[in-house]
Amino acid sequence: MSGERRIVAFCCRECAYAAADTSANARTALPPSVRLVLVPCTGRVGPLHLLRALADGADGVMVAGCLLGQCHYREGNFNAVDRVAFVRRLLESVGVEPERCRMFTMSAGEPPRFVAAVREMDRVIAALPPLPRSGDTAPAAGTTDAAVAGMGVA
Amino acid sequence: MRAGVFLCECGGNISGVVDMERLAGHARSLDGVVAVSVSQFMCGTEGRALIEQAVEERGLDHVVVASCSPRFQGPTFERIGRELGLGENAVAFANIREGCSFVHRDEPERAQEKARLIVAGAVARARHMSDLPRRRTFLHRAALVVGGGIAGMTAAEELAGSGIDVHLVERQPSLGGYMARLAKTFPTEDCAMCSLAPRLTSTALEGRVHIHTLTEVEEIAGPPGEFRVRLRHKPRYVTEACVGCGECAEVCPVTVPSEYDFGVTGRTAVHRQFANAVPSTFAVDRRGSSPCRTACAVSTSAQGYVALVAAGRFDEAYRVAAEPNPFPSVCGRICTHLCESACTRGEVDEPVAIAALKRFVADTVGPTQEIRPAPRIHAERVAVVGAGPAGLTCARDLAALGYGVTVFEAQSVPGGMLRLGIPSYRLPHDVLQREIDQILALGVELRLEARAGRDFTVDGLLGDDGYAAVYLATGLQRSAPVELPGAELEGVRHAVELLREINLDGTPDAGEKAVVIGGGDVALDAARSLIRLQIGAGREPDVTLVYRRSEVEMPANAAELQEARDEGLKVELLVQPVAVVGEEGHVTGLRLLRCELGEPDDSGRREPLPVDGSDFMLAADAVVLAVGQALVEDFLEGCTGVEVEHGQIRIDRETLMTTRPGVFAGGDAAATGYYTAIEAVAAGRRGAAAIHNHLRGERLLPVWAADGEAARPSAAELAAVEGGQRTPMAVAEPESRRATWDEVNLGYTADQAMAEAARCLDCAVCSDCGSCARVCPSAAIDWDQTETVEDITVGAVILATGHKEFDAARKLPLGFGRFANVLTQSQVARLLSAAGPTEGELLRPSDGRPPRRVLMLQCVGSRDCTGSGNEHCSAICCLFATLHASLIKEHDPGVEVTVGYTDLRAPGKAHEEYYRRVQEKGVRYVRGRVGEIQEEADGSLTVRLENTMTGAKSEERYDLVVLSAGLEASDGTREIAGVAGVQTGAAGFIREFHPKLRPVDTQRAGMFVAGTAQGPKSIPDSIAQAKAAAARAMSMLSTGFAMTPAQVASSDLELCVACGVCETACPQGAVRLTAGAGAHSVVDPSICRGCGICAAECPTGAMQLGGFSDAELIAEATAS
Repeated sequence: MSGERRIVAFCCRECAYAAADTSANARTALPPSVRLVLVPCTGRVGPLHLLRALADGADGVMVAGCLLGQCHYREGNFNAVDRVAFVRRLLESVGVEPERCRMFTMSAGEPPRFVAAVREMDRVIAALPPLPRSGDTAPAAGTTDAAVAGMGVA
Repeated sequence: MRAGVFLCECGGNISGVVDMERLAGHARSLDGVVAVSVSQFMCGTEGRALIEQAVEERGLDHVVVASCSPRFQGPTFERIGRELGLGENAVAFANIREGCSFVHRDEPERAQEKARLIVAGAVARARHMSDLPRRRTFLHRAALVVGGGIAGMTAAEELAGSGIDVHLVERQPSLGGYMARLAKTFPTEDCAMCSLAPRLTSTALEGRVHIHTLTEVEEIAGPPGEFRVRLRHKPRYVTEACVGCGECAEVCPVTVPSEYDFGVTGRTAVHRQFANAVPSTFAVDRRGSSPCRTACAVSTSAQGYVALVAAGRFDEAYRVAAEPNPFPSVCGRICTHLCESACTRGEVDEPVAIAALKRFVADTVGPTQEIRPAPRIHAERVAVVGAGPAGLTCARDLAALGYGVTVFEAQSVPGGMLRLGIPSYRLPHDVLQREIDQILALGVELRLEARAGRDFTVDGLLGDDGYAAVYLATGLQRSAPVELPGAELEGVRHAVELLREINLDGTPDAGEKAVVIGGGDVALDAARSLIRLQIGAGREPDVTLVYRRSEVEMPANAAELQEARDEGLKVELLVQPVAVVGEEGHVTGLRLLRCELGEPDDSGRREPLPVDGSDFMLAADAVVLAVGQALVEDFLEGCTGVEVEHGQIRIDRETLMTTRPGVFAGGDAAATGYYTAIEAVAAGRRGAAAIHNHLRGERLLPVWAADGEAARPSAAELAAVEGGQRTPMAVAEPESRRATWDEVNLGYTADQAMAEAARCLDCAVCSDCGSCARVCPSAAIDWDQTETVEDITVGAVILATGHKEFDAARKLPLGFGRFANVLTQSQVARLLSAAGPTEGELLRPSDGRPPRRVLMLQCVGSRDCTGSGNEHCSAICCLFATLHASLIKEHDPGVEVTVGYTDLRAPGKAHEEYYRRVQEKGVRYVRGRVGEIQEEADGSLTVRLENTMTGAKSEERYDLVVLSAGLEASDGTREIAGVAGVQTGAAGFIREFHPKLRPVDTQRAGMFVAGTAQGPKSIPDSIAQAKAAAARAMSMLSTGFAMTPAQVASSDLELCVACGVCETACPQGAVRLTAGAGAHSVVDPSICRGCGICAAECPTGAMQLGGFSDAELIAEATAS
């Protein structure tokens, strides 16, 4: 279906994904634009993942992790904060709106915070024009991992 | 890839929103999908059969399940994949329930498209999923149970019973937890201790349960099955030799509020929580060193003798005061008492009058002491040169150590500066002499009028005289040279020399108009002595003190300055002498410049700056300079090898030895600055220890004591102290006293001393008075115990750290903490306990009388959305109040008991029946809300209550109000959650893995939760949960081995450049770089917890996380 906004949400298993389950079980309506990708910790998410999602179909990416100081692996969410900031600078430098990439934090016990984050992201992306992309030049997944990973240390 | 896609309708939960046939059609069109099925319930047997069939018939290598969140049924399908031989990581999940149908019920068309995308994502991911290796690991058949309450003890015993070794850790001195503090339990009304005591005994006797009391869990690391746990044992200061007789507690002078009794009564510093405590060993609550002790140069436990004075035990107080200091009467008068400056009481109102209390006990008890000669143990004799406080103290300690000691003194009287530098109105000569005599009574020989370098030499002492060591404590007997023009004029004197002459019964001329230059204690002593001399000579006193700075900077004691002013001293501040002027060789006056204060200098004092043209004359026929002392170097004659440097004897700061072996030095003569009396005493003690170490050839005694950090009461405890003022001491009238040399300050009476001592705040709780050690029949008190660390390895952990009562003081209008007769249910439990402070009788705290009208208020801090309380229902309070109401009625049916409740909840087994029975006893239940409680003059309480059934408002008077304060996670629960890395939820309670299906599992594998650490619950529920947690741990440990998880990181050697970023990034320490050529990173899968931080950090893509590789994540995220 063309014209539908697409937002990929990388959600930490310990908090955001659990909060999503809880709010869904209460049948809280959410904008359909946001699709969840489960990660064990937002520390797992690198610039590679965010940039590839934006390059290959997403109008926005969000990373939803634990409250700062409450990471189950000590400071994985701080790493994620840094990487999101890095990606935002990178986007800005190539003329893409940095707000297409955002970090949110919450605890597993805060479904309303998850819902608010998703709605906020949808609202922000809805206000932006669709992200221009050239599907034919997108490399096949898996072959350029190392090349794009290089951006992580740029 | 040959993948099968299995779509779940979830009984309409999904198919009610998403068209399953259309979704199946899309799935069939995806590359690599060879089979698609739809089932009503994939998680049921039908689903499993569908997968089995497709794997067999279609040769699937991957399974894609489109159903609910993988957090719910993920493990079920992963297991099916494993069992069908597809290996690890063969099942991909498409979360189309929580991720789609549940949240887009009103937009089916958009939901349809999203479901398609989610399934496409899962199939795309499956293309990159490959088998993951797992490894067998060993499981330690041992468990850690944290918390020694009823839940922890129960779990420990269950585990031990199945042959598992258990470490049961409790931070309190005894097991027992909350249940040990209850009076009775509902609904049976049986006594809590009667059911707990057998469990305490059986736990203690269970050989497989290792009980660690006064212990905290500091760290839990490593994988499930092999948790490495670090325990920190706090010192108990009582050994297992304790027979539990309680003699120690009888004599302990310190009383603090009892935590065990919720503060309704006090306990001593050495204590046992309750009679049936396990272990039965007493414990000393010793929180370090009190500030007074830390501040004291000889570490006198002022808190110790103050506590004993408060208890009226003056003899023992004297012992504590005199043990570290042979001059307690002296220091009680003239010490600079840094102890008082450090006293925590000073933060509330005024510091405790510690010095005055020392003087009181020393004057009262000191003269009654019979001193016997110390037994001579060592053949060596030591010579001490100088009978001042340093020399005499050194002599005392050496004599007590068993050496022969001779003290040589140049003057005709002993005492040094104490005798010759301090006027007798501050320190009477007989008081000093008494304490010197006590030192001599130990067998110390004193030779007066023997001056080193003239009457004997140090060389001679060590040579023919046969002394083994010499201690030089000659002091600073000379005034420092002063560069003031005219200082040589007749009538100009140095304070040190003036005071010496007076103290040797001379009557020097004090002139008619005298001026003293200086702002220290010596200047004040000289000035007040001049007043007395002038009066003695029949003149009107006229003495002026001139000082360069302002009064704030003045080093002299402020109280003494006031005393001097009362005696008629005039004080000129901010003036600097320029010259002494005179006629015919005799002084006639002093020329001075006025000063103003500049910026603070290095010492923090503001430097006086002379004001140009402000000079003026002060007429005077006597001028006294009190501006410093210097070393008299006569003793150096015949003292080979001892060096003097910057006016001080040079010593090694570690050994206190001079540059000549066997010769030591201390006191002012070897100090780096001026010493106070107590510092001189400290120097003497160090000197004796140094000489003993030298003569015995070993470091037997510490020369320098390490200062611990000063203990202090908590901010809350301090805030609760009622302010007042120190007990004033009687002082002689200025008019009469200035005409004599009699003592000015007259000391405390016994009653005054006891009242003053009672102001002590017991900062360190244990005052180190040593009373307990003296009475203990089994010598079980051990002051040398220190904190120790123990590392253990266990396979499983059970957290049973319990709850605490909501702090009712947070509900201000209810008056808890402010009104004596507002208590909590827990406090009432102690009062109703037969073993409690009132032996089971309910007496109100304000007057100790039994109350006639009692109100219980429910839901204090529970079911509370105001922000100051907790949202949850605390579950037990309705029955807790009902129980106590029943017990009160049982005791005296005439007492009116009202329970003000929100909703009465009694859902447990036999609880409703119990509630009805208690109602029938005449307990009144009112559904009501309290606005405010006010205290009346007689301590009773006026309560404004709104009946929420009838709407009627009333104002009623009660003798006692009991608050049913709710339950919150204990501090221990909050702390252990952080240490163990488990999640907590509302009010700090530990979260279970699944509220229904896995109620005793935490989020961390191998860690379980039991009792009120998980949430409010009754005792039977806690016990049931403890047994469940024990069973979970057993089932985990029973196999003896476990498999490492599939979801761990691993490094690709081809891509790894050994940069080490992964090693730094790993929070578990699971990643290491190999050494040498071809270095690369390796991951220990038994430590890795699968967060993937290393993989995200890896710059080359070498590091990947099993199940969450870059390829898998990107494929899912970019599916279209």
